[in-house]
Amino acid sequence: MSAPGRLTPREEPIVTVSELTYRYPEGDTPALRELTWVVDPGEFVTVTGPSGSGKSTLLRCLNGLTPHFSGGTFDGTVTIAGHDTRHYSPRVLARLTGFVFQDPEAQFVAGRVDDELAFGMEQLGVPVVTMRKRVEEVLDLLGIAALRDREIATLSGGEQQRVAVAAALALQPSILALDEPTSQLDPWGAEEVLAALNRLSEDLGLTVVLAEHRLERVVAHADRLTVLAPDGTVALDGRPRDTLRLAEMGNLPPLFALGRRLDWDPLPLSIKEGRSAQRRDAALGRVPAPAPPDPAPPGGTPVVALQRVRAGWDRNNVLRDVDLDVRPGELVALMGRNGSGKTTLLRLVAGLHRPSSGRVLIGGQDTARLHPADIAQTVGYLPQNPSALFFAETLQAELGFTLKHHRHSELDPEATLATLGLEHAIDRNPRDLSGGERERAALAAVLVGGPRVLLLDEPTRGMDAARKRALIKTLLQLRDDGVAILLATHDVELVAEVANRVTLLGDGRIVADGGPRTVLSGSLTFTTAVNKLYGDGFLTPGDILAGLGMNRSVEPLAGTIEFV
Amino acid sequence: MSTRRARPLDPRAWIIWAVAANLPLLVGRNPWPLAATLLAVLGVWAAWSTGAAGARWRPLLGLALVLGVVSVLFNLLTAHIGDRVIGVLPESWPLIGGVLTLNALIYGLLSAMAIFSLVAVSATLGATLDWSATMRLLPERMAALAVAGSVAWSYLPRTTAALMEIREAQMARGYRPRGIRDAAPLAIPLLAGGLERAMITAEALEARAFGAPLAPELTPRPWQVALLLGGLVAALTGAFCLALGQLTVAGALLAMAVVSLVAGLFTGSRGEPRLRRTRYRDPVWERPEWIVSGAAIAVLAVQIATLFLDPAAFRYEPYPALTAPAINLPLLAALGLLLVPAAVRP
Repeated sequence: MSAPGRLTPREEPIVTVSELTYRYPEGDTPALRELTWVVDPGEFVTVTGPSGSGKSTLLRCLNGLTPHFSGGTFDGTVTIAGHDTRHYSPRVLARLTGFVFQDPEAQFVAGRVDDELAFGMEQLGVPVVTMRKRVEEVLDLLGIAALRDREIATLSGGEQQRVAVAAALALQPSILALDEPTSQLDPWGAEEVLAALNRLSEDLGLTVVLAEHRLERVVAHADRLTVLAPDGTVALDGRPRDTLRLAEMGNLPPLFALGRRLDWDPLPLSIKEGRSAQRRDAALGRVPAPAPPDPAPPGGTPVVALQRVRAGWDRNNVLRDVDLDVRPGELVALMGRNGSGKTTLLRLVAGLHRPSSGRVLIGGQDTARLHPADIAQTVGYLPQNPSALFFAETLQAELGFTLKHHRHSELDPEATLATLGLEHAIDRNPRDLSGGERERAALAAVLVGGPRVLLLDEPTRGMDAARKRALIKTLLQLRDDGVAILLATHDVELVAEVANRVTLLGDGRIVADGGPRTVLSGSLTFTTAVNKLYGDGFLTPGDILAGLGMNRSVEPLAGTIEFV
Repeated sequence: MSTRRARPLDPRAWIIWAVAANLPLLVGRNPWPLAATLLAVLGVWAAWSTGAAGARWRPLLGLALVLGVVSVLFNLLTAHIGDRVIGVLPESWPLIGGVLTLNALIYGLLSAMAIFSLVAVSATLGATLDWSATMRLLPERMAALAVAGSVAWSYLPRTTAALMEIREAQMARGYRPRGIRDAAPLAIPLLAGGLERAMITAEALEARAFGAPLAPELTPRPWQVALLLGGLVAALTGAFCLALGQLTVAGALLAMAVVSLVAGLFTGSRGEPRLRRTRYRDPVWERPEWIVSGAAIAVLAVQIATLFLDPAAFRYEPYPALTAPAINLPLLAALGLLLVPAAVRP
């Protein structure tokens, strides 16, 4: 095998996929269907498409994990820098394709950063001097030199993903393949990783293939956007602006969606481009009428009340003197940077964490002496990872388990599943459901207890547009049914769609509290792309269209994923 | 979070220290060497258990304390012999009925001290050993085992975190764990999640060239496996004989163990690897390592000499009559050297 090393200037594609049809061993239908696709050396390609469209599978073809690791039937060819992947195992292709996985934590094999970076080189017997030099190089390339001695478990998600990228680059691959590397990260961590990728692509000419469903952050960097269809074929492929112009899909970046309705030319890929389009509109007198004020908050007795609550770990107070009342029918979005106390606040309400001073009242009752299982009679808590719940053989039994522990619930499993569109799955094993169904099944297992308060921690992390839209619909329904919802999230576009109140936490205190238009407007970080352009309480593309007297039902977060 | 950690000592220095610190706990119940060792080990633990790793291992000490208390009570209530009676329970009570003696209480306390010291040594090792460096000590042909060991080690804290997350998620569903029969809602998600993570780790290992150049000839031969297993059995039996005071047998068994383990690990298997793995980090062996291992070897030498010259310095039996334990001052002075790692934190 020839040493791949640095790219030689040759014009032939570095990745050639031709007529590829691939079916997983247990799959009924192919994950990839007659797929033909090439990547030129030095390109930055973003691959997108709904869950289950084969993004991950396509990426795994680039280093041979498909089919060598996964098995299944593989028709057609994939060539990486002239190497047919059918004849080389992933461990050999590792020199050609560096791979970064979705979950920052599960992919590490060593405890410390520098050991992790050296791991692949040790396996390949790279001479020690070369190895040391390369470790220094990748530490600098990713800006993580300060982390070299740290234990990986103590790093933030963004830092971990940069370590994973560095570890892949240490083998000096020709291609870097990343499978939704930012989906588990908060906006700042995602920004760190994408900025690093952009630098690698521009400075080193590295070929980057990135699977991603949140396009607003990546399209400005990408040379090409490939859209996979649900049946595993290529739906669209071309320059990002051209591809997005034609796509009928739910995860259009909000400004792009707005620009399409307002016939902006060029369609904006970044806030900066959007701003100049908006200035041109304003010069032509096309200015939206003021946004409606936030609706009045619902009345009634608070079902959750925090009174001068302090809480924390050891002697560090994560929350200081927090007062918060939540009433039935309120959907409170808790926002704030990592470590600002959002999760601790949710855990206090669920009784999983005790305040060091102050009181937490649920339905007027002090939670200090209640077991979390008692609090659970009133409060439902949806864990971030739905797999943390499932243990029963069928969804019916899973819901039955919750019911057994809820003496007062009058709901029955069938009705609950029907409201979430899962009635067909009642006899299936919850672990066998698809990603989106699993999330709804976990929600069903919580909702069947009839909670008056619902807690959600980063529910949209890793969700594609269709799953997010389903969640939004469910949340709005619950809110209208009088459930009090506390939602900890970084997802401003989600908040703009569902919240009727936003509470901004900073350094363990409530910094701002009020309606979403009031709190989000004028914020530099915690606001939507539309608000960054228009300010003044405009949050979604729909707000602008309504202000211009147009039909507001665009496809911002809505719109089923169909392809023209 | 934890900032730059102090440079960990070479694992070989720690292993020698651990052997020296464990020996007095295994060979007898004389309170003087037990107390000296316990104090020294706690001193080292206090100096090295700062930071996240220390916090992870601290619960183990709590568990050892509980075990110690249980062992004291158990011994007091069940060993009804000795000359100093401090109370009586009705004879009709099964097992625990009879006289309670000071002898039994003291023996229980001494055993508890020994257990606690053993656990403290393990916790200190756990908090201080650089695990990947330890795994790199294994010879080339056990590289696959070494990687498996390091991966397993980095798994531990994640599995604990996953269990906490699952427990909380189930409690927030109204679940109240009461007994072993209620374990399914915790165990099944933990197992399933663990399998999922294991698959990702396996994929990550493949994607990172794990096992790429290793020649297939590196599988150990059957007689090598036999030597390794035999060595382990001999080591365990030897330790047991040591604890029983059968010094000659113990010495012979331990020598056998060393020989067969070395033979099993370092003799050639079929062929040499085509491509050698390289090591990013060379083991660092500097002054702190010399001092720690030197002190530990000195302690070991004094201990072994004392075992042969004055076995009573380690032994003590509070039965049938309570007597004063023997004191061997040179031994106690030597045990003080076990504190050395506390002073040489690099």
